[in-house]
Amino acid sequence: MRDALILAVSGCDVKNEVICAPTDVNELFEFTDPLFSIGGFHFTRTVFLIFAAMLIVLGVLFFGLRRQRLVPSKFEVVVESMVGFVRDDIAKGVIGPAGAKYLPYLLSLFFFILVGNLFEITPFVNFPITSRMALPAFMAIVTWAVFVVVGFAKNGFKHYFIDAIWPKSVPIALRWLVGIIELVSIFVLRPITLAVRLFANMVAGHLMLTLLLASGVIFVSNIGDIGLKAGIGVVWFVFGLGIFVFEVVVAVLQAYIFTLLSAVYIQTSLEPAH
Amino acid sequence: MMKAPGMRFTMGASPLVLAAGEEAESGSSGLGLLIPETSELIAGIIAFAIIFFFVWRWAVPAMSAALARRQEAERSRLEAAEQARQEAEQSAAKYRGQLAGARDEAARIVEEARQAAEGVRAETISRAQQEAEDIVSRAREEAAAESGRALEAARQEVANLSIDLAEKVVGQALDRETQMGLIDDYLEELESSR
Repeated sequence: MRDALILAVSGCDVKNEVICAPTDVNELFEFTDPLFSIGGFHFTRTVFLIFAAMLIVLGVLFFGLRRQRLVPSKFEVVVESMVGFVRDDIAKGVIGPAGAKYLPYLLSLFFFILVGNLFEITPFVNFPITSRMALPAFMAIVTWAVFVVVGFAKNGFKHYFIDAIWPKSVPIALRWLVGIIELVSIFVLRPITLAVRLFANMVAGHLMLTLLLASGVIFVSNIGDIGLKAGIGVVWFVFGLGIFVFEVVVAVLQAYIFTLLSAVYIQTSLEPAH
Repeated sequence: MMKAPGMRFTMGASPLVLAAGEEAESGSSGLGLLIPETSELIAGIIAFAIIFFFVWRWAVPAMSAALARRQEAERSRLEAAEQARQEAEQSAAKYRGQLAGARDEAARIVEEARQAAEGVRAETISRAQQEAEDIVSRAREEAAAESGRALEAARQEVANLSIDLAEKVVGQALDRETQMGLIDDYLEELESSR
């Protein structure tokens, strides 16, 4: 990772610049050198990390829940608390008793996003797989499909769709306008905002961390050429460490928000506003 | 770095790249990041599907089972506590009953003792009264006997004095037996006339 970063910003002119940035910002996110390819499927570093995240989620859940002891270990307590949090505060808390049915989906979302986000601050990984649009987009589309299907199945076409785009409680003069806003908001914007929110947060965090920490390393390592200006590197590095702590919070928060909003959307489909 | 086809984006200069002082023409806007990469999408779908299947078929049932087991354990603990409480209450009721029996027994014993003491006291008083009455009656009898004896002695003395006086008056000895009989008769008359 460090080599890749140094490579990405290798053209940095440490004598004239105050921060090192790559020529192409995509280089911070695309590790497109395939380790191997099967047909059109390229097994890149990101793909490897996606499967690694999957294995970590499976491992954490398996080792956290397998023994079901009356007095659990610390690790089991942490896993059970997280699972209990998603179950009680998100699934049952937001959706209600019917939330138990959606718990497997919400749990999968939460843990997969959480581990994917935490890769950003994991040493030697330093790359959030959720900063690649594939994952947020896929999960947002699944959430969209779930809440739309649930809405139609539970309330029928008229109650779910017609009542949303032609709301009786709104004065008739404004009804069409509110209807259009609702239509776009529910069926178009929800999945987009859901995906972009997670994606953009992780991209921003990754950008800040890599630019600050890489600049810090490059400026300090070039102290022989630039003399006192290497102090900028120290400043960037310390600032980067501050952002590092901040990103821990962001990683957890974004996993929570994505899961919570998915639950909220499902809940509004189960009981559409009157 | 080698790039996959379709992943090169040269849509203009970004502020970031400009800030870095790179040539704007060779930079990228980063908008390409918004387009999902096919291999990553497939990997994400497979990974998420496996996680979902695992959570759905194993994790959630395991968690529910653990929860049920804990609730069961909690319930049995509560039941055991309830049973212990009931047993304690029964013991307490038994002890309370025993205590009440002991109190009644004590009260009965005290009452018996009190009655026995009362009997002894009454008997003692009655015996004392009897003895006192006996003493008084004996004293009366003795006093009466004494009084009788004194009266007899006085009577004898009066008779003798009367005979002596009469002999001095008549100047000769009188028949003492006869005189004594007369005097006694007289005295008896006096007593009966009183």
